[in-house]
Amino acid sequence: MKVLWSWLLELCDLDAVPTVEEGARALTRGGIEIEGMTNLGAGFKGVIVAEVVGKRPHPQADKLTLVDVITERGGAATQVVCGAPNVPAPGRKVLWALPGAEIPDRQNPGRFITLGKKAVKGIESPGMLCAEDELGLSDDHAGIVILDEDDSTALGSPAQRALGIDDWLLEVNAPANRGDLLGHIGVARELAAMLRGKVVWPDADLSAYTKPGNVKLEIAIASGEECPRYSARVIEGLAVKASPRRIAQRLRAVGVRPISNLVDVTNYVMFELGQPLHAFDADKLKTGIIGVSSASDGERFTTLDSQERSLVRGDLMIRDGDRGIALAGVMGGMDTEVTDGTTRVLLESASFKPLLVRRTARRLNLHSEASHRFERGVDPELASFASARASRLLCMYGGGKVVGDIVDAYPGKREIAAIPTRLPRVQMLTGVPLTETACRDALERLGFTVMIETQNEMKVTPPSVRTDVVREVDVIEEVLRVTGYEQVPSTLPVMRQAPPVRSASRADVARRALAAAGVSEAITYGFQSVDRVNALGLPGTDRRAQPIVIRNPMSIDQAAMRTSLLPNLIAAVARNQSYGRGDVALFEVGSVFLRRGERVTEGPMHELADEPTWAAGVLAGARPGQIGDGTPWDAFDAKALALEAIRAVAGDVRVRANPTSTIAYLHPGVAGELLVERQGRLEVVGCFGELHPDVREKLGVTGSVFAFEVELDKLPLAEPAQMRAIPRFPGSERDVSLLLAEDIPAGRIVDVIEAANEPLVTRIRLLEDYRDAKLGAGMKSMLWSIAYRSPDRTLTDAEVDKAHETIVGRLVENLPAQRR
Amino acid sequence: MSTPDLIAKLEQLGNEFLEQTKLLADEQAIRAAQAQYLGKKGKVSELMKELGKLPAGDRPKVGAAANQVKEKIERVVEAWLVAAANTKKQADLARKVDVTLPARPVGGGHLHLLSAVRLEAIDVFAELGFVVAEGPQIETDWHTFEALAIPKDHPARDMQDTFYVSDEIVLRTHTSPVQVRTMLTQPPPIRIVAPGHVYRRDDDPTHSPMFTQIEGLAVDENISFADLKGTLLHFVKRFFMKDLGVRLRPSYFPFVEPGAEVDMQCSFCLGSGCRICKHTGWVEIGGAGMVDPDVFKNCGVDAERYTGFAFGMGLERMAMLRHGVNDIKYYYEGDVRFLEQF
Repeated sequence: MKVLWSWLLELCDLDAVPTVEEGARALTRGGIEIEGMTNLGAGFKGVIVAEVVGKRPHPQADKLTLVDVITERGGAATQVVCGAPNVPAPGRKVLWALPGAEIPDRQNPGRFITLGKKAVKGIESPGMLCAEDELGLSDDHAGIVILDEDDSTALGSPAQRALGIDDWLLEVNAPANRGDLLGHIGVARELAAMLRGKVVWPDADLSAYTKPGNVKLEIAIASGEECPRYSARVIEGLAVKASPRRIAQRLRAVGVRPISNLVDVTNYVMFELGQPLHAFDADKLKTGIIGVSSASDGERFTTLDSQERSLVRGDLMIRDGDRGIALAGVMGGMDTEVTDGTTRVLLESASFKPLLVRRTARRLNLHSEASHRFERGVDPELASFASARASRLLCMYGGGKVVGDIVDAYPGKREIAAIPTRLPRVQMLTGVPLTETACRDALERLGFTVMIETQNEMKVTPPSVRTDVVREVDVIEEVLRVTGYEQVPSTLPVMRQAPPVRSASRADVARRALAAAGVSEAITYGFQSVDRVNALGLPGTDRRAQPIVIRNPMSIDQAAMRTSLLPNLIAAVARNQSYGRGDVALFEVGSVFLRRGERVTEGPMHELADEPTWAAGVLAGARPGQIGDGTPWDAFDAKALALEAIRAVAGDVRVRANPTSTIAYLHPGVAGELLVERQGRLEVVGCFGELHPDVREKLGVTGSVFAFEVELDKLPLAEPAQMRAIPRFPGSERDVSLLLAEDIPAGRIVDVIEAANEPLVTRIRLLEDYRDAKLGAGMKSMLWSIAYRSPDRTLTDAEVDKAHETIVGRLVENLPAQRR
Repeated sequence: MSTPDLIAKLEQLGNEFLEQTKLLADEQAIRAAQAQYLGKKGKVSELMKELGKLPAGDRPKVGAAANQVKEKIERVVEAWLVAAANTKKQADLARKVDVTLPARPVGGGHLHLLSAVRLEAIDVFAELGFVVAEGPQIETDWHTFEALAIPKDHPARDMQDTFYVSDEIVLRTHTSPVQVRTMLTQPPPIRIVAPGHVYRRDDDPTHSPMFTQIEGLAVDENISFADLKGTLLHFVKRFFMKDLGVRLRPSYFPFVEPGAEVDMQCSFCLGSGCRICKHTGWVEIGGAGMVDPDVFKNCGVDAERYTGFAFGMGLERMAMLRHGVNDIKYYYEGDVRFLEQF
């Protein structure tokens, strides 16, 4: 909320007037955040209040006037040339920008023009008399500023004082539970509490403005819960005109456009006291019965912004008989709006259930200053005072009289319960050894009533306006807030034995391993465009093809939750390429989001998602080289990284790689799936290979990209590695060279060797994978080396040869292959 | 052959060998030459066949001469090998490598700054006995709001503009639902830190629609607001490696009471005032407070017996303050020029 410093001071009685900085600091200390401070008078300099003592036409120009002004009683007059049509008669005050004054440069916002002495049609003018637009106050250039007849600003004072802008505007960030701070009086209460002063209530005396009479008015509230209080006053004999400059200026400063005295007064009192008010044109009310009841479904109502609204049950309506005349707490109706011809008003001062106002305002997207306050709770106790205050101002500025008494229905009057507050609890929770006296003093400064019950217990009654304080802990916060958070010491909680859990997650283990392996970690958004999801070309039967969609995304680029880490990573490759970085090696470890269950579903989701953690990586271009480029990345780098991640998490597990051509986003000839044995079953945990060219193209990448994916949650967690005995006896190696069909994968050879189940085999190594047309069409040659060793003796040549020959025999027979 | 002749021949063999070795090139050659003289069928052995023909009284003398020759040859070999090794070493030491050539790249991978910062923060809190807890990013409205005393129509929901999946499912706007999940499944004492991504409808140089929070929760008997302050102070000093102060300012979050904004002394100017802290000497790093009794009630914790504190901080902000990152967008763009800096 915007708070004017002068207005705030008006509502406080303080021993010493603080500077605005001191005030802001005191409020901040108490938890009222000041988000900004603006000096309202900083828009111009060197403009002062002067009085017109004479005027005559300029001899050379019809439209110009020569004006004599003085800046002190009995002082010498100065002649200023003025082009405005409204130069007042002698005796009125105007604003004179002296030579040397700085006024806003309207051609260059933010800069100033310095005035001098200038001849106008042959007659020298020292400075000028100013219009509002020339001072940056408004766009008004109809004439120069003429101060009100009864203006009491001393001659020669800075114009800022006469305009009410020798002032500061504070941007107060009121916490959502402090509706009471949405009026100046609420902030004044805080300032007074922090600086040990008192609140000064504004004048609401109506004795001079009341005329006897009876208002025929009945108020019928359907539910005291929905509308705890509704009060109304009728004021007659009003004349609509512009508000006094001071009122208009204050409203403008807090961000409200002045309209007319009647409307402005309701706004003014709302900003002053926090009580929203509404003025109906009483002559447009027909029945004399004001009702407060729910709308019916489909009821139509035209608000004063000329919009016809369709209402639902639960929208609270103010009615004249059956006819809706206002959406309670949100906006009045067009039919009963105050207009230039209004002379009688019915002034509403009421309170409504915050929830109802909030729902209506949200549903209709109709947020007003009034709804903002009602949503946060307006103290029903405030209604009658605010009504009197506004009535007084209406009569003062509109020339009217209040007829009879206030009509006040108050079915929701609340008993404020005293809150038992235990001193030891205060001390324990805060960690501060606060005394009973300190607590009492703090609370009383805030207007709370404190009764000492027993030695350790107080009964605390908050003022009605503090609806946020209902529990002991709320009272404790108030005490701590006023006594000051800065006095809280720093202690550490008692240490506790840590639970026997793993300290690192699969995700972090994988991250560290992949970074150590030479790829850099990216973190990308959890959401992406649906197009990006589709770029993977997954079949509709894949859960990943049906992403969870956001109902209210900020843009279509963030409309769907990611179902794979790859699209964002591939897009990152494209972005890096666009910066001229072609060598990109990135990984990400994070959650993907899938609808629960195995079946593919569409439509809104009403349960939690599956959020498995994946690791994925992309490799484009070449690895860093020492001199010149390094070797280009290939599928085996992707494979190595996948294995690195798997082994970091799962330890020394057997990982099997099978060729596959069915992963939609990988090249059908350069793709493998990775399987790990878990509970006796081989389970696919990931894949690697070259990205399918279609995927690259859709995501804007040029050149080959190699990728891997591992579903970390599927991996068993490594147990602490157990030491294996270091071999004590030498082993032997035997090589075998095979001629075999090109399409027999290397993995098959390993399988056959392992299937032979020779206990002496300790290692299988591929030494050569040789392809040449000379070998015969579709043939390749492979040289394998097999190591043999026994843990308990040195093997004889005969033993090794026997084992080796058995294996070679199996290879020749099962692959099949020829021995070379 | 007479005894003196034989002895002379033997001595001659020794000299001959010495001469021969001067021309030899490598170890293999000298070993061959050695075998030629000292082997079973070598020159020395050949000569010694004459020994039988000599008078028995002369034999020891000749034997001694033969031993001398053998020793001499062995000494020559030894000396030759030492000299050869030395020559080789000298040649090796004469090599020169241009060490100003670029280093061969190794590793080259980087953890993301936010990961590094997160892991460090976890470590700092681990010193105080906090363990990591995690929860889903797609959360129920109940865990995200209701359980934390933010009912559907509470104005505080405006503070966190929420992405909705459906009426009851949201993208979590803070990591606080992890508090709820933890308290629902684990009796006090509780000490957790919960790092994770959160989502809010916000996008400008200091706000990203996805960002990372780290949440802390301690629930136990006699936990106080002073404990909260001490814990945050410990974190700030350890994380920023500077003796910075922590200031709590009263503030409102529905799920804590008393609630506070957490400020720390500006890590750039150490509190003396600069552009980063807008000349206040303090920068805001998060929100905190004592767990609200209503939250305890919703989570089945006895609010009379236990008290607790909770805090939440943005990791992006931490990294910005410590590493001078000046736009939040860099964290999420995958730009290697950024990622490789940390």
